[in-house]
Amino acid sequence: MGIIEKAPLYIEKFPGGSVVTTSLESALNWSRASSQWYLLFGLACCAIEMMATGASRYDFDRLGMFFRASPRQADLMMVCGTVTHKMGKRVKILYDQMAEPKYVLAMGGCATNGGPFYYDCYSVLKGVDKVIPVDVYIPGCPPRPESLLQGCLKMREKIYSQKLKDFASDSKMV
Amino acid sequence: MNKEQIENKITQKFGSAIEIQKTKNPEPFIYVSIEKYIEVCEFLKTDPDMCFEYLFQLGGVHYPDDRFEIALTLSSHKHKHELVLKVKLPHDNPKAPTATTVWEAANWYEREAMELFGIQFEGHPDPRPLLLYDDWNYGYPMRKGWTGPDFIPMPDKTKGGDD
Repeated sequence: MGIIEKAPLYIEKFPGGSVVTTSLESALNWSRASSQWYLLFGLACCAIEMMATGASRYDFDRLGMFFRASPRQADLMMVCGTVTHKMGKRVKILYDQMAEPKYVLAMGGCATNGGPFYYDCYSVLKGVDKVIPVDVYIPGCPPRPESLLQGCLKMREKIYSQKLKDFASDSKMV
Repeated sequence: MNKEQIENKITQKFGSAIEIQKTKNPEPFIYVSIEKYIEVCEFLKTDPDMCFEYLFQLGGVHYPDDRFEIALTLSSHKHKHELVLKVKLPHDNPKAPTATTVWEAANWYEREAMELFGIQFEGHPDPRPLLLYDDWNYGYPMRKGWTGPDFIPMPDKTKGGDD
């Protein structure tokens, strides 16, 4: 999958030590996937599951994920909860403030498509993908921490499959 | 005071302006005419036997037959009793005097009812919108039959359909 599994193959011995040879692509993808600092975005009950996943029983830290309270330091935006029309504008502002490369994970039914607020509701956005591009959707109301962890693993797979040419254009890279 | 005592006392004081609604709830439900609304509120707050110094909530109501009401839940820390006060509003252009002169807590509740139901509160000290987003101009979303952008009504399951 990544550089770690193949690392012994890349190690070249030479007098006085060794070097690791790899392609720029896999090195970049490895560094991006292995330190996904996420922006705290607890909007509703999904945030409780996200906190449980971040705490010691499920432990996000072993994936190299730490929460950041500032969009400038974050790589991953986890939208955990109900996004209202009013909040949608703030989500967009915070997404624009994040530095590239940036990824979005929509957690739970509300962030995916409005969830239980799909019908007869004047205030809830029908999915956060109406305002920002989303990479991984996690269904559930709210999803168990296991689901969230699997979503994060899917996100890693997606990052590992990125090609360098995708980054060359101005278009959205993910 | 228990339910009957409250009902009797307020009926003696205001007479025809008061209409008692029969419910099984432990607290009295009282309709008051809009002319006597603020007077009744002041009486309920200041009278030593009533002493409703705490406004629990104030909400607008829109019924399917296009009637508007406001409903106030009052409670008393001193006597540990509660009361529901309701006011019927005019059918077109619903309008009521503000209760902020009696309970300061009514401020935000009235702003909410103003924004969501379109009920005007005359004399409100700060009649700005409270909850909806800044460039909202789609009317009053809690009224019956409201539709707006991105609004999907619940499909009628009794008539059959896809979901």
